Amino acid sequence: MKEDNPAIQAQNISPKVASKTKRKMKSREMAYYLMVLPAVILFAAFHTFPALQGIYYSFTNWNGISLEYDFVGLKNYINLFKDVTVLDSYLFTFKFAILAAILVNIISLAVAIGLNSKIKGRNFFRAVYFLPNVLSVLIVGFIFNFFFTNILPDLGEKYKIEFLTTNILGIADFAWIGILLVFVWQACAFNIILYLSGLQTVPSELYEASSLDGANKWQQFWKVTFPMIAPFFTINMVLSMKNSLMVFDQIVAMTGGGPGNSTTSISLLIYTGGFSGGEFAFQSANAVIYFIVIMLISVFQLKILQKREMDM
Amino acid sequence: MKKTIAILSAGVLSLSLLAGCGGGDAASTDGKVKIEFFHHKREGMETIDKLIAKFEKENPNIDVEQASPPEPSTVLRTRVSKSDIPDIIGVGGDMTYKDLSEAGVFADISDDKSLDKIQPAYVQMLKDVSGLDEVYAIPFATNAVGVIYNKAIFTELGLEIPNTWDEFIEVSEKIKAAGKTPFFHTYKDAWTTLPSFNALVANTQGDDFYSELNKGNILAGERYKEAAEKMIQLTEYGHKNQQGVGYNDGNTAFANGEAAMYLQGVWAIPEIKKANPDLELGVFPFPATNHADEVKVISGVDLILGLAASSKHPEEAKKFIEFLLEDENAKQYIQEQNSFSALNGITQDDPSVEDLKASFEKGALTDFPDHYIPTGVAPEKTLQTLVLEKDVDAFLEKLQKDWEKVQDRK
Repeated sequence: MKEDNPAIQAQNISPKVASKTKRKMKSREMAYYLMVLPAVILFAAFHTFPALQGIYYSFTNWNGISLEYDFVGLKNYINLFKDVTVLDSYLFTFKFAILAAILVNIISLAVAIGLNSKIKGRNFFRAVYFLPNVLSVLIVGFIFNFFFTNILPDLGEKYKIEFLTTNILGIADFAWIGILLVFVWQACAFNIILYLSGLQTVPSELYEASSLDGANKWQQFWKVTFPMIAPFFTINMVLSMKNSLMVFDQIVAMTGGGPGNSTTSISLLIYTGGFSGGEFAFQSANAVIYFIVIMLISVFQLKILQKREMDM
Repeated sequence: MKKTIAILSAGVLSLSLLAGCGGGDAASTDGKVKIEFFHHKREGMETIDKLIAKFEKENPNIDVEQASPPEPSTVLRTRVSKSDIPDIIGVGGDMTYKDLSEAGVFADISDDKSLDKIQPAYVQMLKDVSGLDEVYAIPFATNAVGVIYNKAIFTELGLEIPNTWDEFIEVSEKIKAAGKTPFFHTYKDAWTTLPSFNALVANTQGDDFYSELNKGNILAGERYKEAAEKMIQLTEYGHKNQQGVGYNDGNTAFANGEAAMYLQGVWAIPEIKKANPDLELGVFPFPATNHADEVKVISGVDLILGLAASSKHPEEAKKFIEFLLEDENAKQYIQEQNSFSALNGITQDDPSVEDLKASFEKGALTDFPDHYIPTGVAPEKTLQTLVLEKDVDAFLEKLQKDWEKVQDRK
């Protein structure tokens, strides 16, 4: 059949050589496959398989420890939409995530621009701003818990600042602010690095040209910098939104979801309800729904923001 | 070809790493039999360490390892779900015991001789909680909830121990009038609302609450009203930052004499004494109602000893359980932990709990009502909202709804 191939005949390459390169190609492909194999196995064993198991359990009434369970069809999913606690946790998580994503991006971008300019001790400050990222989230949470519970009220007493004298983590309406502060403080570190690397891709000629045209700093930022780092804005938005939707450690360390259920995020609810609450199957259904929600949001964000990149 | 081999071997290596992670089951080291004792009494680890040392001296071929992680119930459930079950399990006589019993985790010990040493009331408590006729664990230590009070402050203000609810409030008023804090509430940790709520509910919910519950009638919405109203009354006698501090802060503050009374179980006493060994404290029965002779003290099974059905060394594990049940060792445990014993004839003689003694002798005891609430309901969260928002109707409605909802989902 190969002899009939017009392309090969036209290029006057002997079939032997062609098949040799093909074989070479094949063995190289083989090597690539082998290279990704460990990652695929690990990912499948520790991620895909448990995820599929979770979907399976969401159709049962398993409590997490009993030896037997029954299939209950969609009962868990129907109950999910009737549960006020679940609904409240979705509201809290979205309120938290949207605010966190916006704050993280504004602050990170501002700090990154500062760290990208020619200032003294630039590398030192870059290291300092990255520091929160290498600290354990849980430890940071416990430290801030102590800070809000003991240090701030003491300072409030001393300097007669009324609103500081009570621990805000104990007030149902404001506890989320404490968690948001800690979350943003820690999350910024990583996003600053991403923005910094983005800012370094902007060619300096553009700034020179724009300043010759009489653009001020503010115009330079909106007309040159911001469009040039659009892809970085996209990835930062998506990542920070996803991370803040999955907020968990800070809450465990600081409020445990309280007071009442006022700071119970969806991840926390899935964990506490599923494991200590003995409702494994019900919370598995919650996790499946949440997985779909996060996926839809990420895809939606990517679509919108990438389209924006094109327009610029 | 060489490359392929290199890559393959790298793959195999990384896989063997995985296998390495899984093999944590060191059944026997140097001929010793290793058994694991998993329990939820973190406060008691030191005491248990001492008892283990003594046991290992007597039985050199057995190696007992204790595990008591934070969030013990969650850890235990996770381990059970992956069939990594400890040989001896020590949890409370609560819903965790019920769930584990139903799941067949424990060996059935209904006919075990050791049960003869135990006060029948506590064995019955385990049966009531689980709703099963079989007994799956031996009640070892029990606890009690009362009002922990600072003797120095009571003498200073010339106060008597209150026997009725009205006297209780009167005493609180007097302490407040003297410029001191009556109660050190710790509402930041939701669960710390439970001890006083349990004491109030147990004395006000009505005798037929559980029999109705067994019929499927959840009466929380109407029967918890009085308890909820009294909870709110108690919040009036707290301190300024009561919604912002937790259990550990409370223990330290009470130890330093920052409040006259502390609404906790006797399990807090060792922690308080750690913070201030010189503090003179006592515990009196929680005067939940105005009928002084009818007030019952809350006492539940705090630590059970359950033998896992899947244990590879049941003989050795049993030996350790029997060792703990020896009078001398059981006594050592309750003395150091300031708890009470489920065993016949072993009494807690510590002066701090002598005011509770009369109730124990009379048998005026009752179990924790929250041991009968399914874990998925999480009543402590709703209670935390109650003491902050002070809305009784909303509380009763939410608790009733949550309970029905969880019951319905089973």
